[in-house]
Amino acid sequence: MASNNLMIGLEIGTSKICVVVGESRPDGTVKILGVGQTPSRGVRKGEIVDFETAMKCVHEAVVDAEQKSDVMIRSVYVAIAGSHLKSFNNRGCVMLPEDRDEIDEQDVEDVKINAREVSIPAQNAFLHSIIQHYHVDGQNGVLNPIGMLGQKLEADFHIIHGLRTRIQNTIRCVKELPLDVEDVVFGGLASAQVILTQHQKDLGALVIDIGGGTTDYILYADGAVKQSGCIAIGGDHITNDISMGLRIPMARSEKLKIEEGSCVLGNCFPGEMILLKDDSGFAGKEIERETLNTIIHLRLQETFELLKRRLEKEPFINYLGAGICITGGCSLLNGIDHLATEIFEMPAHVAHAQTTSGVTSAVENPQFSTAIGLIKYAQAVQTDRPPRGIGRIFGKFFSGRR
Amino acid sequence: MIQLSKNYSLPERAAEFIPIKIISVGGAGLNALDRIVLDGLERAEVVAINTDVQSLASSVAAHKVQLGRSVTRGLGAGGDPELGYQAAVESADEIREALADARMIFVCAGLGGGTGSGAAPYVAQLAHEAGALVVAFATLPFSFEGKRRNAQAREALTRLNEVANGVICFENDKMGDIVAPQAGIHQAFATADITISQSVRSVVNLIQRPGLIRIGFDDLLAALRSPNGRCLFGFGESDSDNRAHEALTQALKNPLMDRGRMLADAARVLVQVAGGPGMTLSEVEILMQELGRHISEQTQILFGAAVDGRLGDRLSVTIVSSLRADEDFISQQSQPTQSSAPAMPPVWEQPHEISPEIEIESEPMPMEVFQPAEMTPFKESAPSETVPPPRVEPIPAFNKPEPIVSTPHKKPAPIKEEKPSAEKSAQAKQEVLQFEPVTRGRFEKSEPTIVEGEDLDVPTYLRKKIKVK
Ligand SMILES: Nc1ncnc2c1ncn2[C@@H]1O[C@H](COP(=O)(O)OP(=O)(O)OP(=O)(O)O)[C@@H](O)[C@H]1O
Ligand SMILES: Nc1nc2c(ncn2[C@@H]2O[C@H](COP(=O)(O)OP(=O)(O)O)[C@@H](O)[C@H]2O)c(=O)[nH]1
Ligand SMILES: [Mg+2]
Ligand SMILES: [Mg+2]
Repeated sequence: MASNNLMIGLEIGTSKICVVVGESRPDGTVKILGVGQTPSRGVRKGEIVDFETAMKCVHEAVVDAEQKSDVMIRSVYVAIAGSHLKSFNNRGCVMLPEDRDEIDEQDVEDVKINAREVSIPAQNAFLHSIIQHYHVDGQNGVLNPIGMLGQKLEADFHIIHGLRTRIQNTIRCVKELPLDVEDVVFGGLASAQVILTQHQKDLGALVIDIGGGTTDYILYADGAVKQSGCIAIGGDHITNDISMGLRIPMARSEKLKIEEGSCVLGNCFPGEMILLKDDSGFAGKEIERETLNTIIHLRLQETFELLKRRLEKEPFINYLGAGICITGGCSLLNGIDHLATEIFEMPAHVAHAQTTSGVTSAVENPQFSTAIGLIKYAQAVQTDRPPRGIGRIFGKFFSGRR
Repeated sequence: MIQLSKNYSLPERAAEFIPIKIISVGGAGLNALDRIVLDGLERAEVVAINTDVQSLASSVAAHKVQLGRSVTRGLGAGGDPELGYQAAVESADEIREALADARMIFVCAGLGGGTGSGAAPYVAQLAHEAGALVVAFATLPFSFEGKRRNAQAREALTRLNEVANGVICFENDKMGDIVAPQAGIHQAFATADITISQSVRSVVNLIQRPGLIRIGFDDLLAALRSPNGRCLFGFGESDSDNRAHEALTQALKNPLMDRGRMLADAARVLVQVAGGPGMTLSEVEILMQELGRHISEQTQILFGAAVDGRLGDRLSVTIVSSLRADEDFISQQSQPTQSSAPAMPPVWEQPHEISPEIEIESEPMPMEVFQPAEMTPFKESAPSETVPPPRVEPIPAFNKPEPIVSTPHKKPAPIKEEKPSAEKSAQAKQEVLQFEPVTRGRFEKSEPTIVEGEDLDVPTYLRKKIKVK
């Protein structure tokens, strides 16, 4: 194999592990050759808590993907999640030497390095430095400064960093299989690649990926990433709430949530009941539909409100012309778009990957946004820059505007 | 066929009911109490007692008592029974107030944590001092919860046995053959809650049902009295054509009954058969004959029959019994972990000092109950030493004299304040790692999601104090 245009995305999610094999076409599109999947074990809140078990699951998913795509998998792009991920915006600055006034590639590299010369906690590592805008001699909104004349080059970056050991843990899990890790990518950033068009990014949009263990979010304004993060709340919390509130086992709660759950209140007949089918001593238990929906509603409402408070610490949320896109498995919950619309006071809708060709129907599911997004991310990175060696996992740059 | 009800059943008047209070202590107690109330409880009042205000806030009980406002400050007892005990001592007055005016008090607690283990025996003592008859419903932790919790639970159980008139003890490990720890601790506890709820409610019914043949306190206590023994409990209900057989089969299937096998070794078995007005004598006869095949000739049957209009076409069977502590239980108890905590000598080491305390002085009460002959076994220390009273046949039993109720007047054993020795606390620290806080469930191995000072792993509806159901 070793075909340069093969790209593999791996998401070690809290509920499922997903491997997507994609092929980059000369016309810039991506063809999905196959998707491997296995239920996830040993992962909580987007992070590996049981190494051996998680590794076994990743192996299974990889084998599954190899069989479905008929491709030998050697290296992967891996998604990263977890509440340890933090982000901030920072400006870097370089002055050109007296005897030169044309900005070149080296200056652009330097300004990125400068932008990262900020202190992050010693135990943390940079995951992404994403360029927002350049400024040349105080002129704002420069997209490509190379070749421009000026003395002072400044650049705004969105920087994502996280606990080094946690990130390494994920990398180690893949490397021990053994597979090479091409790159590690924040899950929310990957999802946004398939959820948002460039036009939406320019208008301003918020992507919320609610999975089993985490809610990843990423906000674009004016075409650039302005805010991002990961809240360790996901579908597992909803299921757990249901389990405790209705006193039914987790497995049944999960089923109930998926089959009957909704976050819309006041939509049932008064006293409308759901009959749980018989299964080891819980025969004929009846559950009030409104109670189930209330439990779900309260959790999602709280999560959205928490996210809103976080985003409101900066002004960008006021510039979202394209509104909100919700993805991830939990976006399948009935009424979630209405709830988000109500809380954020702007249009929100559910979205999933659509742009690709290949096994489309199978992947048109919001649960796969992150894994397919990794392929799109890989494609963009690979066309953006010459093939690069492994080993730039930390301290890498992300040059284009994603 | 004889229609029992038409001739004998009395109108149900509230005045006939014995004031019963169900007092739940600690997190597990409160969860079980919620289950009890949600499953439907009549003829008893409920009180929730805990150190943890969050758990109190979410309890469905109308009457709540917060323990240790200054000792624990609304937080839990952190798995430390000493703290649980001190919190209870601080709130003694409020507890007394909550206990007042009850003739019979059921104290429910999950032993092993801090509040249940530390405070429940103290609550039982106060209940006793208030003049009530005290029956404790206690759970022992799953073995996977670790040695420390198990040791704390055993110690608390010993104390409960000293202050309560009867202890119905559920071993979590034995409560469901279906629930393995892997199945999720929530499921395991939910199953336990169901069993506890069923037991408590049927014991309340046992006492409160206006009986054709009334079961009294003393019958109940006699059935339970095997110091430190294992409680056997079964409940079954059916409305089919073959309801007598089905109800009994179901009762014997109860995990606390070990499929009926253990009944064979019991010294006394209490059985109550209840049905709607349609219950017939022959049904009761069939049922008792069938039960006879599960018990030995020597087993004494304490029999009650009741007509309860609420049952409609259903017929219910409640079986309560207990087994003497068996060999492996004893050897388990004398392991080094236990002997390093010598403050409370285990009961079996001195059965002759303990058993007289269990004796109950009779005192008339405005109520009915039991046969004096069945009182004597209270003095025995082990069933093997008893001369078994003649087996009571179901039909003659219908001629049982009008029962009399007795109230105990024993001095409760003082609860010793025990300062853990350095050696013991070192051990405790080691073992505390074996078990995460039980409420974390699915998130057991993960870092808690604490945002803006709130633990978001706790269900939102609980934190927002919104009643579901
Ligand atoms: N039809 C549905 N309705 C409601 N919820 C659903 C549905 N389908 C899946 N879910 C929920 O979505 C979650 C899984 O989503 P997803 O596959 O995106 O998560 P993940 O990638 O495994 O986890 P994470 O990214 O958080 O680590 C589960 O909690 C599941 O219950
Ligand atoms: N039946 C039942 N038992 C529980 C539950 N939660 C905990 N337990 C058991 O009760 C013991 C004490 O826990 P808990 O009541 O939470 O501690 P406390 O509040 O400090 O007394 C534990 O060791 C478990 O064995 C529950 O919800 N139901
Ligand atoms: Mg995901
Ligand atoms: Mg995710």
